[in-house]
Amino acid sequence: MRVLEAIRRANQPRAPEHSVRLRVATTCAVLVAIGASVAESTLAPATAVLAAALVVAGMVFSHATRERPPWWIKVLVAIAAVAALVWFTRQLSAIAGEDITSVEDLLTGLFGAILVVHSFHVPSRRDLMFSLGSSGALMAAAAAQAVDLHFAWYALGWAALSLWTLVEGWVSASGGGQTSIAGLIAALVGVTAVAAAVFLVLPAPSFAVRIDFLARQGSGGSVGIPGTLAGDAGGAGQAAEPSRPGSPAGRTRVGGYLGFANRLDTALRGNLSHTVVMRVRAQRPSYWVGETFDSWDGQSWGATRIASHAAQGSPFTVPTPQGDIAGSQTDLQTFYVATSTPDLVFHAENATELWFPTSTVFYGDDGTIVSPIGLGKGTIYTVESSVSAAAPQQLREAGGGDLGRVFGGGTLPPALQRRYTQLPHAYPRVQALAQAITAGAPTTYDRIQALIAWMGANTHYSTDTPPLPAGADTVDEFLFGNRVGFCEQISTSLAVMLRTLDIPVRETVGYVPGPYNPVTDLYEVRASDAHAWVQVWFPGYGWQSFDPTAAVPLANPAPGATALTEVGHALRSIPVVPVVVAVAGAGLAVAVGRRRRSRPRTWAEQVSRRIERAGRRAGRPRRASETITEYATDLDHISGDGSLTWSRLAGAVEGSAYGGRQPPPGDRREILASARRSRVRSAAAGRTIGLITSRSFGQKVAASEQRRSPSGGGHRPGDPA
Amino acid sequence: MTLRVHPARPLAPIFVAAAIVGTWWVVAHNSGSGWVQALGDVVFGVLFIGIVGPSLVLARAKIHLAAAPLDGTAGLTLDLTIRASTRLRVSPADPPGPEAFIGPTRRRGAGEERVTVLPDQRGVHHFVTLRVATAAPFGLQWWAHRVRVGLPAPLHVAPRRGQPEPLPRWVHEQLGESVQRVPTDSGEPRGVRPYRSGDDRRHVNWAATAHAAELMLRELEEPAAEPVRLTVVLPLDPEQGERVAERALGTVVVLLERGAAVILATTESSGPVVASVADRRGAGRRLARAVSQPGASAGAGIAMSR
Repeated sequence: MRVLEAIRRANQPRAPEHSVRLRVATTCAVLVAIGASVAESTLAPATAVLAAALVVAGMVFSHATRERPPWWIKVLVAIAAVAALVWFTRQLSAIAGEDITSVEDLLTGLFGAILVVHSFHVPSRRDLMFSLGSSGALMAAAAAQAVDLHFAWYALGWAALSLWTLVEGWVSASGGGQTSIAGLIAALVGVTAVAAAVFLVLPAPSFAVRIDFLARQGSGGSVGIPGTLAGDAGGAGQAAEPSRPGSPAGRTRVGGYLGFANRLDTALRGNLSHTVVMRVRAQRPSYWVGETFDSWDGQSWGATRIASHAAQGSPFTVPTPQGDIAGSQTDLQTFYVATSTPDLVFHAENATELWFPTSTVFYGDDGTIVSPIGLGKGTIYTVESSVSAAAPQQLREAGGGDLGRVFGGGTLPPALQRRYTQLPHAYPRVQALAQAITAGAPTTYDRIQALIAWMGANTHYSTDTPPLPAGADTVDEFLFGNRVGFCEQISTSLAVMLRTLDIPVRETVGYVPGPYNPVTDLYEVRASDAHAWVQVWFPGYGWQSFDPTAAVPLANPAPGATALTEVGHALRSIPVVPVVVAVAGAGLAVAVGRRRRSRPRTWAEQVSRRIERAGRRAGRPRRASETITEYATDLDHISGDGSLTWSRLAGAVEGSAYGGRQPPPGDRREILASARRSRVRSAAAGRTIGLITSRSFGQKVAASEQRRSPSGGGHRPGDPA
Repeated sequence: MTLRVHPARPLAPIFVAAAIVGTWWVVAHNSGSGWVQALGDVVFGVLFIGIVGPSLVLARAKIHLAAAPLDGTAGLTLDLTIRASTRLRVSPADPPGPEAFIGPTRRRGAGEERVTVLPDQRGVHHFVTLRVATAAPFGLQWWAHRVRVGLPAPLHVAPRRGQPEPLPRWVHEQLGESVQRVPTDSGEPRGVRPYRSGDDRRHVNWAATAHAAELMLRELEEPAAEPVRLTVVLPLDPEQGERVAERALGTVVVLLERGAAVILATTESSGPVVASVADRRGAGRRLARAVSQPGASAGAGIAMSR
């Protein structure tokens, strides 16, 4: 019975809500949430327009019938809500056996339907708050799909409208109470501060327990010869071009990078732009591997990979490349392609599983994954990688002795050994240099580190280097020339030095993780993040990445630390002088304003303050219990000259304040001037504590008093001063 | 005196807020989306300020009692004029009264509002205790506390007018209602009457005679009645004391209405007070201040004497 009673009480009709502002604010919040769903493609535009129109119509209907909602509307709303739930359940069960990749879309549909249905029966304030909460659910579903900062407009708009709704709700609940601007600003500052504090403290969200992995086809075109590398498509719907090396003259490839092709010309560095190429949601930062090269001709790298294809549908199980070992650390990454890219499927090293929006993908025997379609804007795919977590000591032990040909009881196949130690010609100088640098290094790992340390100490990074002359060897030019180059030249030099030491190594190109965005929880990979590094083969551990260009290891990001760093950068970029001038100006304005506010408003107050100041200077401050006349009398007594200056002044003040007698303007000025000039003189000590008033002042005040007295007649407008 | 600020209904809004934030957190972690988490942080900020903020608003709120009546009667409403710095829900606790909203409104800005109190017992109030609450700025959580606001002057709440005590015969006689006053040769003037044979000629009123055109005589009567002394001893039990006070007021009012001079003897916190009362308000004030004496239960009640 208690439960029934509670249910009955909860369902009791509430007082109708008459506030139009509250209803408008709620409706606007709901409309913004619908707009956000459209922007994040969780709601079709036509559906959204229909939903928005119905919500507005429903709110108008609810307002019109708020006093006496028709009985049938509640029945209709209940039936429609049940229908929406049935639809959601059926849709969910239909996809449950296959691939639950669009739960968010279904949820958005459900929340949207409930919002629309509910908007026709929103008579009370509590119902409006329910609408606001449902719009929050819609926003959450849209936010789950948001990968860039454009969503901030919707988030800010919805947050502002929600705050407006809540404030209007309070105004309505308190019988039309007024909320001060200062109070609202304080509340806004409080909300922002709390949200920022929570944002800084909370760790980044992890999607380790998610049940669906995203894969969605974007706007990329088809590829002429599937399985081969293609250039970036010219635009949506346009067929991708066959792969070809870029030229330094312009942005011929993705953001101007010349790699991601069948050949990598190390003599040239493209003019890289800052275009966002893709955004990556990952459990940890990694180098996003695009492809590897094994064949070096002195100026360019080539790939002799053997492509194979897998016909099974998504998710694809990526075979382990020959000689490689899956790492022990699982890393799940979702890539959101932001601009047209080559048909390379980027991933963290050692991809093991791939969720991709096609039925076929192509694998190279080196681990390179190639898409059968061009990857245009909007493409989403997810990769699971087994990243190596080998510690330096383990690599030292693995590569100890005679270069470690033994691999888990076997050996690296001779063909691969030859392939990854291939050199176009003898590099006697390079070999001598490498041997000299690694003379004291007993293991492969130590030799690599010794070479990296030497390069860090003896070479310099610059993209502003002239192209190499035709026929020149990149490594010879770099190591024995000015030792200034970019990542392709630095990594190639390391690779060649290692190969002269008979260590299997390959050149790898891809992207560095890119800056971490603490709001979207995504790594934003720009074209300028294109990078080249080397992978060295270790027995028992497979290919291990080494980046001689940036040997500093990357740390896992923390949203708070990253945001604080960004704030620090932003603060450092603030122009100091204008800000200081502005702050000083604002402070001055505040000080002037306060001074103006504290200024006496009437001449009588001014005179009163002058009297008190003169008394204070004479060492006789006014007591709280004293009237101004009593005080002035005492000051006259201290002066002892019998002029009664202060008493007369006090009389004028009291006459004005309590008797409403205002002296003529001329007298008033004279009184003020005299009050300014007057000082208290101590007659007993014979010393001047203040200056006695002007001689005429006593007569002036007396004359004024005379005019104000009933017999003398008061001052009337128009009378001569 | 201000008592501690506390949530008015602590459980429901806080649990709902915790559920919302928890759900949001689960969604953020299942989706892995930073935007969900960022938006959830804003939602948390709104809920936090919405739940905690009213306590700060309430702590900073200022209430000023601008005007209050000096006298009241138990069971009858009184209006207090109150000015508040922010919009507040006010429930008078002592004396009790219905809930009302005070403070600035959007339409007319800041101003004074009337709060009605309904004292249910006699007494003297130097303060009113109000239970003030607010949910500003978002209306999510009500916070309340009790404030004691000093009255500009003590408020005397008189008892209800109860059934009067039966008046003794001598009182009726004194009041001249059961026995005709006896005309006498000396005493207070009563009026004039035509001359009858045997009347003292010194009592002839010549002015009335001239006016009436017959011989008129001044008539005298006995002196006016002696004051009635009403001794009120309140018992220790407050309820019984209230009833005695009500009857006492009813008796005093009846006596005053019949023209009797009344001397009221009561015990106040400062000690016994014996003084005449001229009107109902004075009697109400005296009875409002009256307290019971220790050990008075035995002789509690109302006694009338000459």
